[in-house]
Amino acid sequence: MSPAIQAILIIAAIVLGTIAFALYSVRHFKMEPQEFIVGGRSFGSVLLWILLAGEIYTSFTFLGAAGYAYQRGAPSYYILAYGTVGYVIAYFYLPRVWKIGKERGLMTWPDFLIDRYGSKTLGIGVALLQFFLAVPYITLQLSGLRTILSIAGYNMLNTTVEVSIAFLLIALFVFTAGIRGTAWASVVKDTLVLGAVLFAGVYLPLHFFGSSGAMFARVAQVHPHWLWLHPGDAPFGVNWYVTTVTLTAIGFFMGPANAQAVFSAKSEDAVRRNMIYMPLYQIVVIFVLLAGFTALIVTPGLKGSQGDQSFLLLLQKYFPPFVVGLVGAAGCLAGLLPASALLMGAASIFSRNVAGNTRFVRPMVLVCAVLALILWLFLSSNLVDLLLFYYNGITQLAPGMILAVYWRRVSAWAVGAGIVTGELIALYFLEFLKSTSGPYGINPGLIALAANVAVLLLITWVAPRRQPEAALT
Amino acid sequence: MNSLARVVLAAIPPVMLVLAPFFANRDEPRVAGLPFMLVWILVWVLLTPPFLLAADRFRVRS
Repeated sequence: MSPAIQAILIIAAIVLGTIAFALYSVRHFKMEPQEFIVGGRSFGSVLLWILLAGEIYTSFTFLGAAGYAYQRGAPSYYILAYGTVGYVIAYFYLPRVWKIGKERGLMTWPDFLIDRYGSKTLGIGVALLQFFLAVPYITLQLSGLRTILSIAGYNMLNTTVEVSIAFLLIALFVFTAGIRGTAWASVVKDTLVLGAVLFAGVYLPLHFFGSSGAMFARVAQVHPHWLWLHPGDAPFGVNWYVTTVTLTAIGFFMGPANAQAVFSAKSEDAVRRNMIYMPLYQIVVIFVLLAGFTALIVTPGLKGSQGDQSFLLLLQKYFPPFVVGLVGAAGCLAGLLPASALLMGAASIFSRNVAGNTRFVRPMVLVCAVLALILWLFLSSNLVDLLLFYYNGITQLAPGMILAVYWRRVSAWAVGAGIVTGELIALYFLEFLKSTSGPYGINPGLIALAANVAVLLLITWVAPRRQPEAALT
Repeated sequence: MNSLARVVLAAIPPVMLVLAPFFANRDEPRVAGLPFMLVWILVWVLLTPPFLLAADRFRVRS
């Protein structure tokens, strides 16, 4: 058997096995909308932890973080930091969001905004926004999948076909099994990813250098100034790091799939406990970074988005096909499961908040999948740049969502005007300047967020919401 | 008072992480072979759950 066939067979067996396992685990649940979208609000701390880890740690964690370490060095440390800060912020507001959601029967972020600010228009606007941001994020996962499959196929596959098949399979899986299916499939995914990441981060430096210390000594020797940040306003320098960690931490739970995961919890305590302990999961990131730094020395010279492939190429070159297959399977699941959560997120938002009927949610999953696939076929871009676009867009929702649980004087108008301002500025920077570093090296998303908050505060000050007692019940 | 203690305790790790370049933007000294800045961030990530647990003791239970 050729190496390509061995590796691909392992991946196919694991992906299909995972789907079968998850379908078996959820076979007794009847898929009415409440069960399908938020798992009947019945997930305890452990299943919630697995689901959150399953949807948060994506193929970006797997490939993008290694690629970042490979291409840029120390700026990649931000990935380790931002999630942790995001959990701390979420520790304060998410339990309250869960409580309101439980009392009021909410399932999506737009549901939450409509309930808090009493404006359907705001809800529909935000629903459309989240929907159109979710689609590129799904394509991001598909691009990750393609990278993995083309390497695991030893460049002999027409990956477009395989990616399309895998993705349509996962769409059918979501259609059948709902969020509970994603949670159970994540059990396999999280285990495999943990194993793959430990292998990559612990074993690879040992194998090639004798220790991770020797590896870093070599990196510092070959690439001086690679392991600390450039000062001040340099591209990807100190200002960039500080503003990017802040921005991405604030936006951490604003994605369309995140609200669903939170609302699937059984209790406020399950949410709170998860926010306290999730930072421990960030440790996987450090191993991915170690693998990226190792690849920088062992397989040098990859440019641009090829950096995302660095450590998989290293495996392909120096290790037997079953290793490529196992790590590749972990990577594929790391792309497919977040994609499944996003499909559910996009479909629930569209059916509940745009079309106005939750019954459409299951067919919408398939519609969203086809839409994402079509977009992906005509779109190719570097993983991280796409992620930054998604993040800058999604983070603009944070002021309205978070203030909803703390401050009754904010009106729908203030939130809406803030979001529009923020999105326009974020679009201006990303689409017109094509830059990820704004003036003074600041992440432009944070400038957009600051303008967003300023507009929100100004309108709240000039025209505070009337009948504030109606806001919180 | 309690809610202030809660916020301050919870805010310590994020401040250390966000402002890491001002405290630790160095490659050396290496700790267990890892660059100093990476170790700084790693340590504060690991300290986040204990700090959040401590903060949680000051939560007003409803």
